[in-house]
Parts: sequence; structure tokens; C-alpha cells
Amino acid sequence: MGIKLKQNVLEILKILQEKDIECDASELAKELKLDYIVLMSAVNDLDKGNLGGFKEKYLDYLYLTDEGLNYLKKGLPSRQLINYLVKNKIKEISIADLKDKSELTDKSFYRAIQNLRRNKWIATSKATGENKVFLVADDFPNTELEVFLKTFEKKPFYDKSKLSKEEVGLIEILNKRNLIRREKRTQRLIFLTPEGKKIDVRKIEILKEVSKITSEMLISGEWKTINLKPFNVSISGPRIHAGKIHPLINIINEIREIFLSMGFTEIKGPIVESAFFNFDALFQPQDHPAREMQDTFYLNNPKQSKLPERERVEAVKATHENGGDCGSIGWGYDWSYDIAKKVVLRTHTTATTCRRLAQFYRENEKPPVKVFSIDKVFRNERLDHSHLAEFMQIEGIVIDENVTLCDLRGLLTEFYRKMGFPKIITRPSFFPYTEPSLEIAVHSEKLGEWLELGGSGIFRPEVTYPWGIKDPTRVLAWGLGLERLAMLKYGREDIRDLYRNPLKWLREVSY
Amino acid sequence: MVKGGILLKGGIKMPTLELKVERLERLVGKKLNIKDLEYDLQWIGLDLESIDEKENKIKVEYSPNRPDFSSPEGIVRTLKGYYELELGAPTYKVNPGSLEINVDPIVNKVRPYIVGGIIRDIDLDEDEVATLMNIQEDLHWALGRDRKKVAIGVHDLDKIVPPYLYTAIKPDSCKFRALQLERFELTLAEILEEHPKGIKYAHILEGKEVFPIIFDKNKEVISFPPIINGILTMVTDDTKNLFIDITGTDFRAINYTLNILSTTLADMGAKIESVKVNYNEDGRQIITPDLNLIKWIVSKKYINDYIGVNLSETEMIKCFQKVRFNAKPSKEKGMVDIWVPAYRVDIMHAVDFVEECAIGYGYFNLPTTTREGCIGEFHPFQELCNLIRKIMIGAQNLEVVNFMLTNSERHYNFMKREYVLKDHIQILNPKSKELDTTRTQLLPGLMENLLYNRSEEKPIKIFEVGEIIELDLSTETGARQELHLAAVTYHENSNFTEIRSLLDHLTISLGINEKIKVMPTTSPTYIEGRVGKISYNSESIGIIGEINPEVILNFNLEFPIAALEMDINKFLGKQLI
Repeated sequence: MGIKLKQNVLEILKILQEKDIECDASELAKELKLDYIVLMSAVNDLDKGNLGGFKEKYLDYLYLTDEGLNYLKKGLPSRQLINYLVKNKIKEISIADLKDKSELTDKSFYRAIQNLRRNKWIATSKATGENKVFLVADDFPNTELEVFLKTFEKKPFYDKSKLSKEEVGLIEILNKRNLIRREKRTQRLIFLTPEGKKIDVRKIEILKEVSKITSEMLISGEWKTINLKPFNVSISGPRIHAGKIHPLINIINEIREIFLSMGFTEIKGPIVESAFFNFDALFQPQDHPAREMQDTFYLNNPKQSKLPERERVEAVKATHENGGDCGSIGWGYDWSYDIAKKVVLRTHTTATTCRRLAQFYRENEKPPVKVFSIDKVFRNERLDHSHLAEFMQIEGIVIDENVTLCDLRGLLTEFYRKMGFPKIITRPSFFPYTEPSLEIAVHSEKLGEWLELGGSGIFRPEVTYPWGIKDPTRVLAWGLGLERLAMLKYGREDIRDLYRNPLKWLREVSY
Repeated sequence: MVKGGILLKGGIKMPTLELKVERLERLVGKKLNIKDLEYDLQWIGLDLESIDEKENKIKVEYSPNRPDFSSPEGIVRTLKGYYELELGAPTYKVNPGSLEINVDPIVNKVRPYIVGGIIRDIDLDEDEVATLMNIQEDLHWALGRDRKKVAIGVHDLDKIVPPYLYTAIKPDSCKFRALQLERFELTLAEILEEHPKGIKYAHILEGKEVFPIIFDKNKEVISFPPIINGILTMVTDDTKNLFIDITGTDFRAINYTLNILSTTLADMGAKIESVKVNYNEDGRQIITPDLNLIKWIVSKKYINDYIGVNLSETEMIKCFQKVRFNAKPSKEKGMVDIWVPAYRVDIMHAVDFVEECAIGYGYFNLPTTTREGCIGEFHPFQELCNLIRKIMIGAQNLEVVNFMLTNSERHYNFMKREYVLKDHIQILNPKSKELDTTRTQLLPGLMENLLYNRSEEKPIKIFEVGEIIELDLSTETGARQELHLAAVTYHENSNFTEIRSLLDHLTISLGINEKIKVMPTTSPTYIEGRVGKISYNSESIGIIGEINPEVILNFNLEFPIAALEMDINKFLGKQLI
């Protein structure tokens, strides 16, 4: 027949004939300890000789979602309820109490109750006037679904194409409860043609071809005479899993460079912050709704902070009570030291910029001072696709003599231009510690619409006077959230992705 | 709310209001296009929430410092100025009335202040009734701090006999029928236990020995503020004249509330009549509502300098008139006299006129100017972080970023670390119970990352550079932040040598290799005999080793893990914060 193959191609052909099944290309490369490119190039040779080739297959892998993983650990909602009842030896309980004790959402709680009733493990009745749950079984064996869920402990995923009939049904149930997520992957499968399968390898002549140049060849001069095998240069190489900077850090560093280029110095401040700097020094009255527990993380430990130097505290107290020396009428109430001493997780980095005003006073500095911070802040929120309990804020301030609202507009125009938003609108707005205040809307080319992207203003005299910063020295300030910007830049829709660190994204993200 | 504006909004919830374009047209007195309105409203400080062209409705957010924007009538006052249909402060006539409220000094023990007003000849359509309900709710929230500071009562004037008495009585000394639970006569104490409003607002009266109450001449109960009105004065379709009582703990706030309510009703066509309030303690008589304009004298130069423009006196006066203030040249040189309507609660300082003038002028008309000055510097800690990041990614480690909030069980028990609650940050009131503390190590976060990614291709080598928080009662706020580096490697052959090589690579690159020593130690998180203490200049800064299989299994993982974590503060020789 006169077929000639290179030595290594012949070896691969032999292996494939022995295996007699289609092989995953990267698995095979690993098994043979061969370079992926060398293997694929050999397959290419087989293809040319019409002996084999490769085809691409798309795989559906099924993983547990976060919620699924959570249930894997804690048990399904129905199991959690049963465990609670059994552990506490409860035979009957009102539905409302049981709901309170469970950490389940309404939906999963009531579905769990339904399932338990269907299993005849519990009964419900309103006979006593109150809707009650009664434990009616003694034994609560694992259900088929639970047994199946447990298999994920050993095996992180299922291949959709290889599921048994029962597994398809069980996966379907889990999927309905949003416990399953799918991931598509591409697999390259190497195969032999019928000819490739039946060809007698002993009859194949070996083509002398060299795949790589060795050091000896270079030194001896042999490289001039060898037949160097051509590579298929169109095939991509296997993925490198190199080290990479996290996308959020990347964007933070870009913004830091912008601030630096505009003459701003970076500052940091405490995350565990006093209510004094987080609220009082920013002229937020002590009964202000933003200070309430439902929005702010208060700490039980540490419970109290130390207030700064007495005369400054008195100055802040006076602005709240009667305006102090700044020409304001104040809020007109009795300011409490104890409320100011409470400890919070800082709700905005303005607490940190306010500390910078205090430093300006203490060190008797001269204007101009321009500083910025990009740092963590906290809000008492439940996490969902658009809410985080902690996120990053970008904030800049300018302390200078005779700075104006027009200067602030100029500053914002320049900052947002550098951020990639040449078109911005600044319109009237309200923040408790700035006057005048404005809000920035930018035009996103990507979305073709205007987005609110930041707030700004000149600090009120009530905020600056206690630190000796008096007219015509004023403080310009602006800030925005980082995560929204990152979602826009990286095209993510779930804000939690930014902190979940999916390697798939981190390894392949384009900055 | 993931808004860009969330930063300076300081977590403040913005109240919203739905505006029917037709009703605005009727109030403004000219044809309005919904698209133009969408554009125009932003320049008077209203934030567009949504626009419904089919129904011809716009939903806006207004700032909590402008409760006078809580009705279409209130917004139209400003809008008319913006369109230059009316300039200067709107005028309201208050007819002098003879009705008197006597205030018994005992109320100082519970709710010291009351003001009142009479509104005659009301004739409200359906929309206006809805507005009236809505405005009360918004005022209770914005000025009233959910009735604690201010509570509003609206009554049918013709069903009660003056003079009224505002007093305070023992919780069980009087029974009356309250709105919404009309069948029973209840004592004040019973109302707090049984009436839905009583249950909701009982906390305001907690611990008080007497409760506030308003009687008419015949000792009939008009109201039990701030909880509920008596059934006697219930407002019906036939009601023609209203009596409004506002009680509270803040004299300024109750007056503002009355002013906003009565001017809005006047805009709906009713007539305002005053009430005399006699504070018997000091014989003081006040007459409310007091809708006199409040006069301020402000420097023109101050305003021009603050904005950065050079408006003439005439131009400036026009700006104030457009935002519905009266303004005139002052007798005092360089000053302008400004009169502010009594419904504006947000004017506290001359600086507030700066913003009003800029709004009158139009933010869009303001130039943009730039100033020179200052040389910037990066924070040394961020510089250190970035240097370490470069070294770590050079050694093929992928960076991750994790939350600082965490759960103590996962953070300590899963890692086999012992912890004493009192030695750590404790959050008092988390909405999700999962988050009860802040991290003291980065490693548990990396373990969670491995769990999340356990089916990804190996090897997995990840690291984090970030801050942790330690309780430290010696500091001003009771805590100390430290900068940490942690790294893990996760694959079939992860071992001590691999992670030790990484540490060496790092310390050589940082030029501190000779100052670093690793000595044997023990730690429950790690495998005995394969764990070392890292020290820098003989000070312990971290730990390196192979992770204890129990810990690996706690996180549902299936390969060996080698890890290191250290405090990198020390490399710069000073405390982060």
C-alpha cells in the first residue's frame, strides 16, 4: 500500500487501535505524556492519510448551585425541618413557630411542608384554632432524592449525556428547585476511520522526520540535513492557567492611576468606625433614619469608641444643637455623647474623608489638599443579584481656597472623561452633608443610555467649620460605587459574581 | 439599590411620588409633553424613577429634605417658577380664627408640643383625597420619624365643641371608641395592646406614666396622639371643614408639618383659618399656622463666589424668584434680602441659598472650570499589595477577592481553630444570620473558593492580599486592621515543598529573604510535622504548611492542600490603621 508515517504518528495509531474507542484529546495527551500540540499534529497526519481525525463534541455538565451545595451540607428543607423536630423532641408545633425557627424562605418552607405531608411524616391541622404541624411517623429514611443528592459529595458533576433514566428524573426535580446549574464544555475526540482501524501497522513504512531540534543537532550541524516536520499552526494550544490579577483589583488600579494623574493622594481609614465620624461629624442628626439598625451594622463587640479631642466634639455638638459658629440654625435637639460613641462598620468612605478634615485641622495644614480613597463599606442588606452587604466606594475630596461649584463641575468632567465617559450631566440632588449637591449621570456607549453614576457636592459649613475649615476655604467631594462600574465593564449581571471567584471567569477574563 | 448615587446618598431611602401628567397640566395651567417633563423635572431636583407614556404618568423620587414635594401641588409650585409662569413666593391667606387649644403643662412629661389649624370649605376629588392620605404618610415618615417626632390628626371640625384641651392622663383613666375598632370602648392602655395602630406605635409611649390626649369642651376624646383618633371626629364625604392637630417632641418640625399640609390644602382650593394655642405653663399664646415668609439677608458676593459665577443683582434676584422665593435688593450694601416660604424646611444656612440660586440659574448653564495644584501619591500599603500581587502572579497564582464579613462557625470551627466570642468582632444586628463577624484570616475564604471551584481543572493555585480585622480595645474605635497575604495550592501532588518554594520566591523578590525564618510549630488547621511558623526579624508573622485532612473534608474537598498565610504589615514597619 505504501503508506508512510512518522514514528510517533505510528505509535499513536497503535495505541488508538488497541483502545478501539474515541479518546479525549487532552486526556490522551496527559496519558501519553505528550505535548498536546504534538498529539494534535500527529492526528492531523492521520487525517491526511485518511486513517483518523478528530471531532468536537459539546458537553453539558451538571453541577449543584450554591443553594444545592448548601442543601448537600445541611440537608433538603424537608430534612432540615424533620431534623429540627426530632432533635428537639417536638411532636407538635404551630406552623408559624416552625417557620420562625427554620432559616428557610417562604417558598422552600411551604414546599417542604407539602413534601413532608406527602411522605406521611407529618400531618397539619387547624383543629385547635391554630395551624399546627404534628409529627406522625417514627422513622424518616432517606428519600430517593436525598440519596441521589448525596452522590454529589463524591462526584462534583454529572455528564448530561450519560445520565440513566432515573437520574434524568431526579436531576429534573433538583433543577426545578434551582439546585442544578449547567456548564457547557468543548471536548475534542480523536477517532480512527475504518481504514485506520483495520490497517496492519507492521506494514507501514516509517517516515524519518524530526519533530524538534535538539541541542546535539545544533552543535553537530546535523540540523542542516534533517527533515523538520511541519506543524499545523492554525490549531490553538491548550489553555495556560497563568496567574492573573482579579478584575476588581484591576479596575481599582486603573482608577487609582486616574486620581494620581489628577494630583490626588491616596488615604485609608478604619473600617470599624465610630458613629461620630460615620454620622455626627457629617451633620446627620442622631434620629436620622439612615442611622437605624436596619440599614447599618452596629457592633456588639467593640461596643463603644473613644471620641476625639473634647473641644472638637463640643464643636460638632454645637452645630447639631444650634449651628455652632458656622452661621447655621442647626437641628435644634439635645445631642447625645453615647449615641456618637456607638461603633459601626463604616457605611461610607466619607467617614474616612471626614477624618482627613480632622487631620487637616490637627496638623494645621494649608490648602490645597486633594485626597482619594477606594475602600470597603458595609450596609445591612440581604445578598441578592443586585445587593451586597459590603462593597467598594470610590471617593475624592479637594480642600482649597475659593473653590467653586463650577470648579467641581470641571473636576467631575475631567474625572469621568478619564474613566471613559466623555458625556456627563450634573443635576441637582440632595445629600445630608453637602450643599450644593449634585448627581452625575454618564452616557454609556455600551448600553446606549444614561446611567446614574455618582453623587457629589460641596461639604456643608456644618461639616467643615468644626475642623477649622472656614469660608472661603471649601471642600469639594464626589463619589461612586465600584461594583456597578465593574459590572458594566466586564458585562456581568449578578453582582455576587464579583466576589464568588469563579475560576472559569477569572482565568479567561479580558481586562 | 446598586446605584452609583448610593455613596453620597448615605443609604437614605428616597420617597417616591406618582404624577399624572393631566393633573399637572391642570395645576400648571399649560399643555405639558411627558418627554419634556421627564427632562425638566431633573433640573428642579427630582429624580426620575419611571415613565409610563401609555398611562401618561411619571414616577419621581424626591429628596427627604423637601417634604413640600410630597404632593403634585407642591411640585407644581416649583415647576411654575421653572417655566417662569409665576415668580416669587406663593401667597397664602390665613383668616384669623377664634378656636382655642389649651395646653396642660403635664404634657411635658410625654409629648410637649401641639399646634393646630382649620381648613374650611374643602371639596376634594378622588385624586386629591389620595394625595392627602399620601402626604400624611410621607410627612409622618420624613419629618415625623414614624410619628415619634411628629404625629398628624385630621378631624371633622363641625363635630366637636371648642375650646379643646391637650393634656395627659393615666393609661386606664378614660375610655373611648377609636377609629378602625369602633365597636368597643377601650382605655388608652387597651388600645396599645389591642388596636392595630396601638400595637404598631406602642413603643413611642413605652415607659411613660401618662399618655397624651385631646378633649373637646364636653370631655369627648378627639384624639389619642400619636396613636389614633376618636371615632367622633371621623372625616366623611360630607365633611366640609377640617381641624388639624399636630403633636410632637420638636416644635420646629410640627410647625413645618402643619405649614406643608395647610398650604397644600389651600392649593386644592380650601381656606386656611388660624387657631390659638395657649401654653398655660408660661401664659404664652401662639397662633398657627404661621405662614409668614422667613427673611434672610445674604451676601451677593458669597453666592457668586461659591458658585463661581458673576451674576448681577437683577439676575440673582430672578434666580431666587424662579425657585419661588421673594428677593429684593437689600438696604445693606452688597446684600440681597430673601423671603422663604413657610413650607420650606431645608433652609438652615446661607449656603442653602447658593444651591437655590444655582438651581434657579440652571445647573446646565454653569461653566466648567479647572484648577491646578497638588502632587498625588499612592498609599504605601496599596503599593506593597500591588508589588506582592505582581510577584504572586509571576509564580502562576491566580488572585481572588473575598468578602470581609463572615460566619464564625465556618471561619473557626471548619478550620479547627478555637475561638472565644468575646475576643472577636461581633455584629449586633445582621439581616442575614450567616454574617455575624468579620474575618481574622484570609485562608477560610480561599477554602470556600476551592469548594466553589472544586470541579475546575487542576492545579488550582490561588491567593488573596487583603485586610483582616482584629478586636483591639486599645485603639480609638476598638479594632485594628491588618494586611494579610494567603495562598493555597490544590491538586493531587500539593505539598509542603511547593508552598515553601512559593514563600522563598516571594521573600527573595521582596529582598527580605535573609530576615525570614521558618521554624517547626503546631496548629490544628495543619498536619502535625508539616507546619512551620514564619518569622520576620524574629517576630512571628504567619504560618505555612499542609492542611489537616479533617479541614479539607470539612470543606468537601478531595485533594491535598498546601497553604500559607502571613501578616505583611510588618514589611513596611508601621501599623495600617
